[in-house]
Amino acid sequence: MAASAGEVRHLFRALLREASRFSNYNVREYVKRRAIDAFHQYRDQSDPAVVDAAFKRGLQQLEIARRQSLVYSLYGPRVKSIMDLRSSK
Amino acid sequence: MMKGVQMAGRPLYLDMQATSPVDPRVLDAMLPYYMDQFGNPHSRTHMYGWESDEAVEKAREQIAKLIGANAKEIIFTSGATEANNIAIKGVMHFYKEKKKHVITTQTEHKCVLDSCRHLQQEGFEVTYLPVRKDGLVDMDELKAAIRPDTGIISIMTVNNEIGVIQPMAEIGELCRKNKIFLHTDAAQAAGKIPINVDDMKVDLMSLSAHKIYGPKGVGALYMRRRPRVRVEAQMSGGGQERGIRSGTVPTPLAVGMGAACEIAMEEMKHDEKYIRELTDRLYKGITSQLDGVIVNGSMEHRYAGNLNLSFAYVEGESLLMGLKEVAVSSGSACTSASLEPSYVLRALGVEEDMAHTSIRFGIGRFTTKEEIDRAIELTVDQVQKLREMSPLWEMVQEGIDLKSIQWAQH
Repeated sequence: MAASAGEVRHLFRALLREASRFSNYNVREYVKRRAIDAFHQYRDQSDPAVVDAAFKRGLQQLEIARRQSLVYSLYGPRVKSIMDLRSSK
Repeated sequence: MMKGVQMAGRPLYLDMQATSPVDPRVLDAMLPYYMDQFGNPHSRTHMYGWESDEAVEKAREQIAKLIGANAKEIIFTSGATEANNIAIKGVMHFYKEKKKHVITTQTEHKCVLDSCRHLQQEGFEVTYLPVRKDGLVDMDELKAAIRPDTGIISIMTVNNEIGVIQPMAEIGELCRKNKIFLHTDAAQAAGKIPINVDDMKVDLMSLSAHKIYGPKGVGALYMRRRPRVRVEAQMSGGGQERGIRSGTVPTPLAVGMGAACEIAMEEMKHDEKYIRELTDRLYKGITSQLDGVIVNGSMEHRYAGNLNLSFAYVEGESLLMGLKEVAVSSGSACTSASLEPSYVLRALGVEEDMAHTSIRFGIGRFTTKEEIDRAIELTVDQVQKLREMSPLWEMVQEGIDLKSIQWAQH
């Protein structure tokens, strides 16, 4: 059973939302960027088997992101990356 | 406040060759083995041992797949340093009746050079091949160095300081012809550039987990089975890892390394393209605003994520002090404790003053475009500041040739 366009969009938004929950600047940016790249990659894919496999993989990645954003928030340092501090020169 | 440096935030990290952050997907795979599934993989009699063993064997498969090997050819070690030790000392000790000679390069990692020195003290002979100005091995010189009693040649695939990629397939061909074992330290290469042990015709390969977003404290040694490579074990004990490396295999670390290798395989193309873009951006950003910037090592045969630059007329220590918001290193972590300029740069023929001002930018999977832009800004700023203060720079601007000056004694 293939995923509907709505489900795909929901997964994409969920991944981006989870990305923003990471306390670590580099991981946060990576999850966001990687999700966008992955969805772009399969945007014009017509083969339903390929799309389905990618969707399942996306769901797995979302689960990992959910667990890890929690772990990182529990153990993240108090001092943030300078990239997160909006300081100019 | 650390080491007298006041910082509002954590520096941006551009030292990926020293180590890399653990990928959250790797951490996710490891955690269960630190919690409920804590068994010793060598325990034969209960579920804790069986599930631990299963995890280790799965990791072994993942590592083997990355380099095109068979799982039976992967031995877990504490890192690439241990793997290098086993490979070089282990092979030569095993074949010591017939083979007395080792060939390596002057740009190898300290652990390889030190292992060779150790062998020299035991009576073996070692040829430390020089490299060309671009960091690559000269194939003719290598051919000339081969002797009938050469037992092993050790040449690293990607150099940790300058990022240069050696022509491993060509070297492998040469070794096969002369029936000499080829060992390569692939710590900086595996998971970053495509590696295949059969294409490279390599017999032993060292791998490190913490260079490819895996945990620290674990690595692996690949040992070819056909034709078979034999080594003398360097660690005595219960005979784990086929008797080659005794000691309990650390399941969570092994699982982490396996996961890191699998992720690296899946992400290699994507990472490579992304990292190359960032490195180009960094290089163009700096050289468009500064003169006298030299890249150390071949531009053509290089791993994109390693950019080693020398800034003329700037003192290296002061440049690093000024770049406290960017975590970079000069030379390699192994040699930065001493003030000695990097032996790798010396081997390239880089002049003393340029070797002292080298900075190694290490870019990786988690580096962002914004970090690159910030690094460019900070580097250009700091270099310009230092040059403005430098009387040497002033002289160069006036057109004086520094080499023609007769410096007087005071």
